[in-house]
Amino acid sequence: MLPNFKRHLIEKGGLSETQFQQVEPFLKTRMVAKGDFLLQQGDICNHSFFVEQGVLRFYALNKEGKENILQFATENWIVSDRGSVFFQEPSTYYIDAVEDTLTVMLDDDFMSEVAKVNPNFRAQNERLLQNHIRHLYKRISQLLGATAKERYLDFVNMYPDIMLRVPQWMIASYLGITPESLSRVRKALAKENFNSDLF
Amino acid sequence: MMTTRTIEKVTKPGTPHFVGDGFRVHNFIPGTSTMQRMDPFIMLDYNSKYNFPATNSPKGVGVHPHRGFETVTIAYKGRVEHNDSAGGGGVIGEGDVQWMTAASGVLHKEYHETEWSKTGGEFQMVQLWVNLPAKDKMSEPKYQAIVSKEISKIDLPNSAGAIEIIAGEYKGTKGAASTFSPINMFNLKLNKGGKTELSFPSNYTTAILMVEGEAIINGVTRAAEDHFIMFSNDGESFTVEAASDAIILVLSGEPLNEPIAAHGPFVMNTKEELVEAFQDFNTGKFGYLEG
Repeated sequence: MLPNFKRHLIEKGGLSETQFQQVEPFLKTRMVAKGDFLLQQGDICNHSFFVEQGVLRFYALNKEGKENILQFATENWIVSDRGSVFFQEPSTYYIDAVEDTLTVMLDDDFMSEVAKVNPNFRAQNERLLQNHIRHLYKRISQLLGATAKERYLDFVNMYPDIMLRVPQWMIASYLGITPESLSRVRKALAKENFNSDLF
Repeated sequence: MMTTRTIEKVTKPGTPHFVGDGFRVHNFIPGTSTMQRMDPFIMLDYNSKYNFPATNSPKGVGVHPHRGFETVTIAYKGRVEHNDSAGGGGVIGEGDVQWMTAASGVLHKEYHETEWSKTGGEFQMVQLWVNLPAKDKMSEPKYQAIVSKEISKIDLPNSAGAIEIIAGEYKGTKGAASTFSPINMFNLKLNKGGKTELSFPSNYTTAILMVEGEAIINGVTRAAEDHFIMFSNDGESFTVEAASDAIILVLSGEPLNEPIAAHGPFVMNTKEELVEAFQDFNTGKFGYLEG
């Protein structure tokens, strides 16, 4: 049972219930335990990973060994090193599980099967890719120009429950700020929005 | 004439899991049944007796939010320290109860008490979430620290044992905790062979947890240690006869019969209220608590 992926293919991919049943036998899933990797530097990435349940993160290590998180993927998100998949070149990134995670492993074979039962699927998928690029532009622009508070508020708006699932230092890494700075932002927001004389 | 309340289900403790690194619990609600069936008791985690080794860094659960209900921690063994963003806090030990009304929202953290952690030892607690009526979900948070000596204790006839009334009422004696809806919460302490009868309105959701020892319920069903016994709503009264010295947590509450929308640490009535809870938590409306 993959209720999230099924809904994704029907709502975002434009498949009918019957068409979903036709492609269901081609689905491949994988359970990844917390801390285990789906991709490591030097591997060629052969899949996009749809998160049915759990949290994945996509990150790079800099020369000092510091993790820079590019993306989190919670339920209904897709994460992949698209460059490595498309150009079949070794990845410079890592993908691992922040929680025990059930993923649907998407590859060309599966996409072709879906396109066979629904020719519109390729166009729908293209739309998702364009949306992803739009999101990346926004993210680069924020990293270059937005305040820590603006980045934080945009982030929690996009992933409402992530503050409860991911350690603070990972969130700071994603936002490109120090954990101390994240703590200051959250404290300032509490001061602004919490009616109390505790501050 | 009281009618017998029969047993709906006996649940043995399932595989334990850790909440943070300080609570090794068996989940009975909603594990045993749904939140709707157990209304107004929406969560029950039971840390059966477990030995925590000595440590200088206290184990527990870090800062997390709650909204829409009350958390009740009943300490049987060990000591726990609590702090919340509404300024509540304290330490509870053996026989004490911490009753935190999260209501409109608090951040809190719970750790084994620093001094207790240094020696470690046997740890046994219950954490229960009691749902709040819709009209009270957004009320002010509050904190009731109920120490053992404030809990009314009634001796049972024939040296059967005693009843400690944490909340609600037993034969005219009221419990120490104030509640938002009718809730009875007792620690029934029976001596071996001691027998008593308990009675609650038949529509009340009623269950017992065998914290210590064994008992025979309604003269026929054996309830073993660490088991959870859920009663039907087909009558008022049931009898408990201790097969050994026993401590039994008795829960009985009037169902709120309101819609439940729950996600993680938020329990509201609608999906929209849940979305609002996440937004408020993310934007600091629950306050701030140092990790």
